[in-house]
Amino acid sequence: MTDTPVIQLVDVTKTYHLESGDFTALNHVSLDILENDFVAIMGPSGSGKSTMMNQLGILDVPTSGNLYIGGKDVAKMTPLERTHMRRDTIGYIFQKFYLIPLLSAYENVEYPLILKYKKRDTSGRATAFLEAVGIDREMSAHRPTQLSGGQQQRVAIARALVNDPKILLCDEPTGNLDSKTGYQIMDILCGLHREGKTVIIVTHDPGIAEYAKRTIRLVDGRIAES
Amino acid sequence: MINGDIFFNLAVRSVRLNFLRSMLAAIGIVIGVVAISSMGMLGTNMQLEVKEQLSATANTIVISSDTVRMGPPGFTPSSSSSSGISKTELTKITSAVGSNGTVIPLYSTNGEFTINSVAGRGEIYGIDPGDIGKFLTINQTYGNGTTEIGTGEVLVGSTLAEEFNLKVGTRIRIGSFSSSSRPELRIAGVLNPRGTVADGVSTDNAVVVNSNWYTNQYGGKDEWTQVNVIVKDVDNISDIESTIDEKVNTNAKTPSVRITDASSQLATETSTLSTVTTFIMAIGGISLLVAAVSIFNVMMMSVSERIQEIGILLSIGTEKGEVRRMFLYESFILGLLGAGIGGASSLIIGYSVVDAMLGTTEYFFLPASIMYVPAAMLVGVMVCVVSGMYPAWRASNMDPIDALRSE
Repeated sequence: MTDTPVIQLVDVTKTYHLESGDFTALNHVSLDILENDFVAIMGPSGSGKSTMMNQLGILDVPTSGNLYIGGKDVAKMTPLERTHMRRDTIGYIFQKFYLIPLLSAYENVEYPLILKYKKRDTSGRATAFLEAVGIDREMSAHRPTQLSGGQQQRVAIARALVNDPKILLCDEPTGNLDSKTGYQIMDILCGLHREGKTVIIVTHDPGIAEYAKRTIRLVDGRIAES
Repeated sequence: MINGDIFFNLAVRSVRLNFLRSMLAAIGIVIGVVAISSMGMLGTNMQLEVKEQLSATANTIVISSDTVRMGPPGFTPSSSSSSGISKTELTKITSAVGSNGTVIPLYSTNGEFTINSVAGRGEIYGIDPGDIGKFLTINQTYGNGTTEIGTGEVLVGSTLAEEFNLKVGTRIRIGSFSSSSRPELRIAGVLNPRGTVADGVSTDNAVVVNSNWYTNQYGGKDEWTQVNVIVKDVDNISDIESTIDEKVNTNAKTPSVRITDASSQLATETSTLSTVTTFIMAIGGISLLVAAVSIFNVMMMSVSERIQEIGILLSIGTEKGEVRRMFLYESFILGLLGAGIGGASSLIIGYSVVDAMLGTTEYFFLPASIMYVPAAMLVGVMVCVVSGMYPAWRASNMDPIDALRSE
């Protein structure tokens, strides 16, 4: 692990303007996540975990404060630059897998490569990543609905990794899986961390959080423990 | 190239997934394309037919006295020629034409006649029997007819003969049904069909009588309704018209006769037909508007049903333009489907319509006619793509977080 913060939050606040009044989901949060870190973000419902993930995944921008990813201030980036950063620097793994239903498992993994290189993958990279997470060629021809939850999450991991992102954002990656499959997925994530990825995982499960090197607890939009 | 595009593949799969809905939406485009191209082809075929028919009388100059001149408010058209072309004017015309053509003066009026106790109305032409054969021909299938008609004889047009089952020897009465004097005339021949002609003598629904009988019946002797000049060399037609104009219309401000030929009539006829065709095509175009609404609706449904998918695409780094492209491809595919089926149907339906309406498909495959099929297909595809623009824009501008949360 190096001392370079790959993600840096400086006094970040995120406020939602609701009909019932303003709601501050993140309240003056400052945080450094170093390269090759393995961070678990925990907290009760409504504590700001999802908001934090949306910020880290640059799906949203802070209301105030600064968020730096790879040293770049996200607020100063154009929407297209943010889109490209999501494509190239960040790999997402969601609780509900969120595979593209119209594409096969292989095509789901190939998709980010097509977004990046604007052409079909002929290097075999998509197949290699699928095989690395235990999805064989026959299975990779199936649509997501024809796969089990564990298989879908493996495909989602392969998709997240195929563009070689520095950061892996995992939102309850085992939340929809049985415990055995969940631990298999966690083993894969630990392996990726060992290979040098920065892994950030949001979870309710203390057993899953134990895999992380560092746990951040959020309460009412503030960091209660880091 | 487009086939290898993953967004095109996604659009194809979306259309396949909702095939029935997509096809129903595309039917609107099919109807629109068929309506526009069939009407366009029908109008063009009509124009081409009229053009050919008028060309058959392209060597004829028509001189008429019914001049109605446009002028400033308060202007009163000259009435100097309202009684027809005078003998003096005819002499001048004959002298102007000389040996370059044949001069045929004729009378005409719209009158009533009775055939087999059925009253009818149509044009009645009074022509010198010696002139009739110079430009009208007899259809011998109705009996051994002749153009050399006496004062008690009449020639009838082909449509009239067919409608009333007339033959040489049948008798018809000329004059109003209520009139006490309704002289009876013997049919001396049935004329060959002429269709639309530029010489002002449309005989298909008319009768032709001896000019002496005509003037005895209707008066106006030596006051001809029109004079036709059949020129020997069509290339000289303008020169002959100028000579006639110089000799007859001595007062340039109030010309006594109007001189026309096929070219001016052709321009008027084709212009009118073109306007009518455009109008009918515009009505057909309304069905494309309805189709546009249908396509818009289907595309909005497609966007609504795929909000989460759009959220996934946007969150993993798909550009807005790429999401837009995916939905525009989808509406393009719907347009291609509709236009393709519509184009093929247009050929069949258009062919049938032209055949049924005009009785000939001689001009159907000419470029001027057939080009309406690809043109209507192009319009159909464009309508679809335009209809898909807003849904595509809406999809690409979704907030990925909200889109991912939607179920």
